[in-house]
Amino acid sequence: MGEYLNIVRRAAGQITGHGGVRGLLLQLFRVNDLKTGALIGVDKYGNKYYEDNRYFFGRHRWVVYTTEMNGKRTMWDVDGSMVPAEWHRWLHCMTDDPPTTHPPEPKKFLAKVHQINVSGSSECYVPYSTTPKKIHEWVPPKVGQQ
Amino acid sequence: MASSVARGAAKAVKPIFSRDVDEAKRRVRELYRAWYREVPNTVAMFQLDISVRQGRDKVREMFNKNKHITDPRVIDMLVIKGKMELQETINIWKQKTHVMRYFHETETPRPTDFLSKFYIGHDP
Amino acid sequence: MLRFPAVGRALAGAAHSKGCLTSSSNVRTSVRASSNMVEVFVDGKPVMVEPGTTVLQACEKVGVQIPRFCYHERLSVAGNCRMCLVEIERAPKPVAACAMPVMKGWNILTNSEKTRKAREGVMEFLLANHPLDCPICDQGGECDLQDQSMMFGSDRSRFTEGKRAVEDKNMGPLIKTIMTRCIQCTRCVRFASEIAGVEDLGTTGRGNSMQIGTYVEKMFMSEMSGNVIDVCPVGALTSKPYAFTSRPWETRKTESIDVLDAVGSNIVVSTRGGEVMRILPRLNEEVNEEWISDKTRFAYDGLKRQRLTQPMVKDSSGQLVQTTWEDALTRVAAMLQGVQKSEVAAIAGGMVDAEALVALKDLLNKLDSEALCTEEVFPTAGAGTDLRSNYLMNSRIAGIEECDLLLLIGTNPRYEAPLFNARVRKSWLHNELQVALVGHEVDLSYTYNHLGDSTQVLQEIAAGKHQFCQVLAQSKRPVVVVGSSCLQRADGAAILSAVSTIAQNARVSSGVEEGWKVLNVLHRVASQVAALDLGYKPGVEAIRKNPPKVLFLLGADAGCITRVDLPKDSFIIYQGHHGDVGAPMADVILPGAAYTEKNATYVNTEGRAQQTRVAVTAPGMAREDWKILRAVSELAGVALPYDTLEEVRDRLAEVAPNLVRYDDVEEANYFKQANELSKAVNQSLLADPLVPPQLSVKDFYMTDPISRASQTMAKCVKAVTEGAAAVEEPDIC
Repeated sequence: MGEYLNIVRRAAGQITGHGGVRGLLLQLFRVNDLKTGALIGVDKYGNKYYEDNRYFFGRHRWVVYTTEMNGKRTMWDVDGSMVPAEWHRWLHCMTDDPPTTHPPEPKKFLAKVHQINVSGSSECYVPYSTTPKKIHEWVPPKVGQQ
Repeated sequence: MASSVARGAAKAVKPIFSRDVDEAKRRVRELYRAWYREVPNTVAMFQLDISVRQGRDKVREMFNKNKHITDPRVIDMLVIKGKMELQETINIWKQKTHVMRYFHETETPRPTDFLSKFYIGHDP
Repeated sequence: MLRFPAVGRALAGAAHSKGCLTSSSNVRTSVRASSNMVEVFVDGKPVMVEPGTTVLQACEKVGVQIPRFCYHERLSVAGNCRMCLVEIERAPKPVAACAMPVMKGWNILTNSEKTRKAREGVMEFLLANHPLDCPICDQGGECDLQDQSMMFGSDRSRFTEGKRAVEDKNMGPLIKTIMTRCIQCTRCVRFASEIAGVEDLGTTGRGNSMQIGTYVEKMFMSEMSGNVIDVCPVGALTSKPYAFTSRPWETRKTESIDVLDAVGSNIVVSTRGGEVMRILPRLNEEVNEEWISDKTRFAYDGLKRQRLTQPMVKDSSGQLVQTTWEDALTRVAAMLQGVQKSEVAAIAGGMVDAEALVALKDLLNKLDSEALCTEEVFPTAGAGTDLRSNYLMNSRIAGIEECDLLLLIGTNPRYEAPLFNARVRKSWLHNELQVALVGHEVDLSYTYNHLGDSTQVLQEIAAGKHQFCQVLAQSKRPVVVVGSSCLQRADGAAILSAVSTIAQNARVSSGVEEGWKVLNVLHRVASQVAALDLGYKPGVEAIRKNPPKVLFLLGADAGCITRVDLPKDSFIIYQGHHGDVGAPMADVILPGAAYTEKNATYVNTEGRAQQTRVAVTAPGMAREDWKILRAVSELAGVALPYDTLEEVRDRLAEVAPNLVRYDDVEEANYFKQANELSKAVNQSLLADPLVPPQLSVKDFYMTDPISRASQTMAKCVKAVTEGAAAVEEPDIC
């Protein structure tokens, strides 16, 4: 009996645990899921990291993305690359120690500000030809030089 | 009178299938009927973005393009070509693009006056 | 005619004297009676030949090709490669066909067992010291040794010893040497001393240690040096700019015309993938024989640099920015519509084709303007450009071979027209041509009688008071050539008048037949004759006096008119293919096509109309020149009545029919009338000496927008001023 009660209690908690109807709908549309779990940490961009080991392995750690990151509005336009490197390890179960308790060793290759994937944006990488040009066009002199 | 002379001339040469124009016309009608019945199938099989009505209009247009031809040998030849097209369509030896080529959707007309030719490229 | 050559004579290559060469001349002037022909047999086939014909020439006459390396039609016979050995029936030994004159009744066996054995043996010896590096050799695919060893060589080697190696020479930035590949045919040595007239190349050592070189480490300094690349039968001398870029079977060949000087050399443009890979000469006995100048051959990399590929307009800050054809043409048309008739003028440059010239002239005439000028000045006083004979090289380039006295006035043909100078040298060498020069003393590669460089001399000769007049009087076929550069002076009309009088007097005193032309003008740019034929005014004086509001520069890059000469608010349109002098001062730039990129008509200094062909398409948005002018005319509301090239040429034929009679020279013959008219002009000459602008070889390389953009030409200038070692080359192979 108690088991069933627990299940019902968890179900009710997952519905009520998001801060009212608005929070519930927001969670439903942004995360596509109504999980609740222990908040392990929040990174400096505002991404929230949760864990609930009662879920099956692989679904037991998740992130709720921040709504604004590096000047980009990420309310609806979320991307997996928003997770910074130190949380990425924990989130993908490479380690069980979250960076909140075990801060990462400072490395000079670690970015100060995490960069979101720029594919599809104006800053994206464009491959260019490395063959020599067949025709070198004339470049008009700049005004005011000479 | 003139038609009888023409018939005489037509008889002199070896016919392909049809002995006279009427027989040739019959073959054309048979081909048209076959195409007319095949159009809904084609639209479905090739998942064309056209209606059956449009397809049938196109068939009619293609037949009408040659309606001035009176030589039964030429008509027979065109019927043979039409049958080949039909067979290729029915057996899906064609791709979608080959069918859609009848509609000339992606072709831009080539410029004819000097200035547009000049703008468009080196030697159109 | 051909004497028995001692084999060793050609080995002493550079030491040839004039007398030695004339005895073995190969010039085509001799006329013999047909009665004393000799009958010989080639493989049993009878053929009648002139006495003195060599075995090789007799075989050629029946269409049998004898393999050869050292023999070259235009060079003296050396006879040292031995590849042309053939068996003569009943002769004890095989003979060298290139050097042996035929005797009556000889039966020449060109494919007998003995002949084939002899060829195979010679080939084996040649390959003994020739590296087998055909896969990395630039001559691969067009190598005589490669082809002939396939045809006549043995299919296996008996060679086990080491091969000889020879150190490479630095011959300057044009010619790459891999001297290990040299088979000592001495073609290059003979070319240098006979055709180019520079004794730079020679042989040192004997036998196995014989080497071709420049004796001391120096550059092969000649304006025709590139021809040794074609002359070399193996890959010992190859083109440095072309090194490792393409193979002959990859390229498409387009027969075209050179426009970098006024000779109009016939060329073949080799292209691959829309890129000009190299330029080679094409045979035309009337113009360039089979040689071309270094500028013609190597300036092609200028076609790929500094190109105008997009229409440009000046924005509000005065900066030229790229735009579309619609925008640029609309602006031009608006300017042309907004001006009065006298406020628009045009200047045509030195490399403009006749089609563009006639289109520009029709356009401006439709706008009621007559201010069409060329950059090159030509005196207009007297008969001026009205009589065609006044501005042509009337006796033609090939005609130099028939004259016996040549008077050059104020010109340096060696650098203004190298192929013309080669003709003069050939005639000097073989026909005892006497040359005299009035003007700055320069090295013409042959000896000449220098009469002084002052204009005083001209007047004296014209008046019959100079001692040279006696020489002139004795000559049978005199020719007078005046350089176009000395006619550009303020007293150009007076000089032309004096020259015309000299020519007229010489013609009377020599009593030469009516068809012989004496007066010649040697132009320096390719477009001048066509422009004058079409009725352009020579010189920009009219524009300077009457500055226009809208100025159309059609490939005008000589800098005759600058912004300073024009009112502040004037509008300059530049149409051309290179950003050189004209483009930076323009308000609108219309990109045109260079000579390898259009079907166009050019008229050389003789008045010979020739056409260039499309070898590559014009880069970017550049268009053919006449098409741009046609488009402008339509937008300006005065549409020209032609849409296709054929219609433009029909229009050309209406204006000047000689411009579409290709490869034909239209005669012009009004010398007497021109001379009489010229007497009316002011005869006072300036005291300045007659100095042509190109004095030494360093002035030769960069004279026009294409060669100024060329890096190869810049390297040449550096090499001749600072020495060949100053030009650093990538150290490959």
